[in-house]
Amino acid sequence: MTAPWPAVLPHCCAGRHMLLAQILSNGLMTGLVYVLMALGFTLIFGVMRIVNFAHGELYMLGGFATLILFGNLGWNYYLTVVVAAFGVGLFGVLLQSLLLKHFIGRELSGMIMALAIAITLQAGANIIFGPEEQSVPRPVTGVLDLGAAVVPYDRLVVGGFTLVILAAFWFFLQFTRWGLAMRAVTQDSEMAAVQGVRPGFIHPLAFGIGSLLAGGAGALMAPIYTIYSYMGELPMLKAFVVVILGGLGSIPGAVLGGLLLGLVESFFATMYSTTVATMIGFALVIVILIFRPRGLLGRTA
Amino acid sequence: MKTLEVRNLKIAYGNVLAVDGITCRVGEGQVVCILGANGAGKSSLLKCIVGLVRPAGGQVLWDGEDVTGLPPHEMTRRGVTLSAEGRRLFPELTVRENLLMGAYLRPRDAAFRADLERVYGWFPRLKERSRQAAGSLSGGEQQMCAIGRALMSAPKVLLLDEPSLGLSPLATREVTRIISEIARAGMTTVLVEQNARMALGLSQYGYVLETGRLALQGPASELLDNPWIKDIYLGGSGPSQKVVA
Repeated sequence: MTAPWPAVLPHCCAGRHMLLAQILSNGLMTGLVYVLMALGFTLIFGVMRIVNFAHGELYMLGGFATLILFGNLGWNYYLTVVVAAFGVGLFGVLLQSLLLKHFIGRELSGMIMALAIAITLQAGANIIFGPEEQSVPRPVTGVLDLGAAVVPYDRLVVGGFTLVILAAFWFFLQFTRWGLAMRAVTQDSEMAAVQGVRPGFIHPLAFGIGSLLAGGAGALMAPIYTIYSYMGELPMLKAFVVVILGGLGSIPGAVLGGLLLGLVESFFATMYSTTVATMIGFALVIVILIFRPRGLLGRTA
Repeated sequence: MKTLEVRNLKIAYGNVLAVDGITCRVGEGQVVCILGANGAGKSSLLKCIVGLVRPAGGQVLWDGEDVTGLPPHEMTRRGVTLSAEGRRLFPELTVRENLLMGAYLRPRDAAFRADLERVYGWFPRLKERSRQAAGSLSGGEQQMCAIGRALMSAPKVLLLDEPSLGLSPLATREVTRIISEIARAGMTTVLVEQNARMALGLSQYGYVLETGRLALQGPASELLDNPWIKDIYLGGSGPSQKVVA
């Protein structure tokens, strides 16, 4: 595995405040992407009780879509991100309607099916695009010097995009009929059905939105990291960590957990190394699982 | 005249028959109660009617149509809705959102707004707490919210499963009053209860289940006077002898 989610190190570490500001801004930028991954993952679990181990491969598809559209065909980068996100979202709807719908409520079988899909997609990408890591040029270059912290513009683009997506997602869940239905299904799927919610509609929709978020994350991160068939494994693991931290199925938990993991990792990556940071992330999961098995904001069933 | 009818219904969980050949019916505007001890199959019967449980045999007929085994959303669309045992609210949604979920299949039109106001009129406490998470309500308030949610679908038949379960005597009285008001407004109602006195007081007709079978049925007034019912369900002291009404 290549160096995971490398932090941006400050040019100068003149003072403690500057270091702290840099850690904060790095952590927020990474954390936002974790949130993007974890939200879809937790939404899919909440609505369908499927642990989507193919979530990283949806991220990977977003990356390859960017490689083709932006890298090879020279599309506008922002248009590419939107098209990649919706394309992967549509792919998710197909995955759900063709394969995963048979495993609703059967957590173990669903998990194995998702794993099979993940491995198939990885192998497929390997065959089509080759095993070597590829890259696309950065759509924007340069850094924003805030004095206390330095933020590269491309990270800022990712952060801004993510915030817009998160706001739209929140609005959807909070203020639309389908969003309300999704929250209801998460809390009691049987009673949601009694109110008239059709699983055959709301499940593909939830899986599609989760896929859209993952595909969008992959497209956003493609210029920052390299693109290859296994690029989704680490983000998937991170999403898993975040969701365990925040509480499986909890939307606010995914936001809290994502930002928390981003900040913690950023701190240890800056102070020690990214390896230590990754290790601490998982150590955090162990601690949470022992002392708060349902996660920080998990429901007490 | 729209009738909900169940014919020789059988429900199995694994090898165990929870409901073993039950036949019953409720006519338009009627209130019918189903009595019986825990595990008699009352809840299974209601769940099967709304499509949450598939029957092992028999038929469910609604308004002349065979609706056996239809999924829940189809039953809701046809106007048959269930207020489940234990309230089963969406605990993290607000009271208002729970009521909106009840009206999930309806357009947000004038009739919807009128129904929302009507529910708030019946349950002023719900209006006061409309922005509060449903899980934070008291038991009685949750039951009101559950009944309100069921009414928001503008049902033609209301199936109420144990509305008095776990409620204080005061809250039970309140819920009883509301159910009788709803019934007086002409709502076809099937009431499943362990509180037989309350249920028979509200209904015109009653069925008594015993381990998945129909033990007794008759007009509510006759059941109230039945010595066996008095003995077992009303806590009276009489000869323990079964008399079919």
